[in-house]
Amino acid sequence: MKFRPIYFTHEAIDNMRKNFAMSSAAISTAALSLFLVGVFLLIFFVWNSFMGATLSKLEIEVFLKDSATPEQVENFQNEILSWDEVKTIKYISKDEALKIFKEKMKDKPEMLEAMTGNPLPASIRVFLNDAHDTDLVVGKIKGYKNLENLVEDATVDIKYGADYIEKLFSVIKLIGWVGLAAAALLCFASIVMIINTIRLTILARKREVSIMRLVGASKWFVRWPFLLEGMFQGFIGALISIGLVYFVKVWVLRQVTEVVPFLDLSVSNVLFLWLVLGMVLGGVLIGAAGSTIALRRFLKV
Amino acid sequence: MIDMKNVTMVYNGSKSPAVEDINLKVKKGEFLFLVGPSGSGKSTLVKLMIRELVPTRGDIHIAGHDIVRMRLGKVHLLRRNIGCVFQDFKLLPNKTAYENVAFALEVIGKSQHAIKSQAPEALKLVGLKGKFDRYPSELSGGEQQRVSLARAFVNRPPLLLADEPTGNLDPSISMEIMILLERINKTGTTVLMATHDKEMVNNLRKRVVALEHGKIVRDQARGVYGHEV
Repeated sequence: MKFRPIYFTHEAIDNMRKNFAMSSAAISTAALSLFLVGVFLLIFFVWNSFMGATLSKLEIEVFLKDSATPEQVENFQNEILSWDEVKTIKYISKDEALKIFKEKMKDKPEMLEAMTGNPLPASIRVFLNDAHDTDLVVGKIKGYKNLENLVEDATVDIKYGADYIEKLFSVIKLIGWVGLAAAALLCFASIVMIINTIRLTILARKREVSIMRLVGASKWFVRWPFLLEGMFQGFIGALISIGLVYFVKVWVLRQVTEVVPFLDLSVSNVLFLWLVLGMVLGGVLIGAAGSTIALRRFLKV
Repeated sequence: MIDMKNVTMVYNGSKSPAVEDINLKVKKGEFLFLVGPSGSGKSTLVKLMIRELVPTRGDIHIAGHDIVRMRLGKVHLLRRNIGCVFQDFKLLPNKTAYENVAFALEVIGKSQHAIKSQAPEALKLVGLKGKFDRYPSELSGGEQQRVSLARAFVNRPPLLLADEPTGNLDPSISMEIMILLERINKTGTTVLMATHDKEMVNNLRKRVVALEHGKIVRDQARGVYGHEV
């Protein structure tokens, strides 16, 4: 039996129209379950990008001796910049450091008055591509051959939030795993729910399947329209759920951002596109699987 | 065409067999009545012939093919060579009369052109002109049965099985159906008809096989329905 796309598609659409109530049930089940999965993944992505943004703000700051010559500082900077882990560096001169300090302390003029001259050291801020490399880069800085000319005391003058980063990483990891497990569970529940609904729609047409077989239809001749029907139902369900998820992304995120404006909550368009693609593909595949599994028993006529 | 040897069928959960030790040979081109009271095993025999059922014991050959050991993936090829009129019609509820008949041609991959000429012709032959677009639920029992018959012979199968095809019809239409079946038989199709219709059997004088309690009790060329008890 060769595949006849037009006939099978026509049959599938005709069946959906004539079993409207059942199809609607299957479609809305697919839409709701995929919506739950989609929103969950959306939250997960927002959290990830939020953590990513936060982590990228972490930095290593190396405070320089006043006696370090510009040449020594420049060699040091070039060395750091040559490392793969380093995204960029920023040199803060003594004057700039004072300016930043004054800005911070502008509410406490008495502190500024008590200060004579400029006691603040110049510094180099090192920004990394990946905050996980902090320890590695700090080690490299400590191993720099002329470090004693540049830095008074390596343990004090190289600042990075060691403990803080460790704890943060373990928390992020934990949340990531829990989120992943919950997503997997939710996906599984959705798959079971969609497959079951489609099974019910086919169960109602068990007799029809046996009639088709008895008048000489091959298994695939019976299967194709049902398979396409399941895929259409999954597809339409996915489209509806994507609409809902998009609404959540645009509207709910805006509401949250209005309430807590300092939180940088967003999902990149690329990631959202992947989510959309995943949901469509997931819907179609689950629909196909549902009808295949449901039909298996009835085809044995 | 049909060759059954020592066929016994015991349904799941039932102790006594529905048919027992059946030996039946039907030659190509024959016309045969299968008679007997309700529950004597007529329908079971028909179901065994299209492998809707697999016998508990025994061998069945249809047109030379061993259908008991036939793989499930090949069974549809057997059924395409057997037209079957079912006692409960077995029409697809979501398809019109026309679409039901056309379906038998769709499954064997006939062109749309061929379907458009053959399906209406078959429906006209069974007297359903003007009711092509009715759904089975909009047709009477007799009309549904005639759709079932049209579907059974539309692809000109070498073997036609009919389980009570005139059961729900008034006598004049029954006669028409019989004439139709005879005509189909004349073109070389083997016809096996399970029936209650005593008058019809007695008038036509064809081969008669009588079943009682699942056993063949009489096999008579040019036979009659049987003696009243």
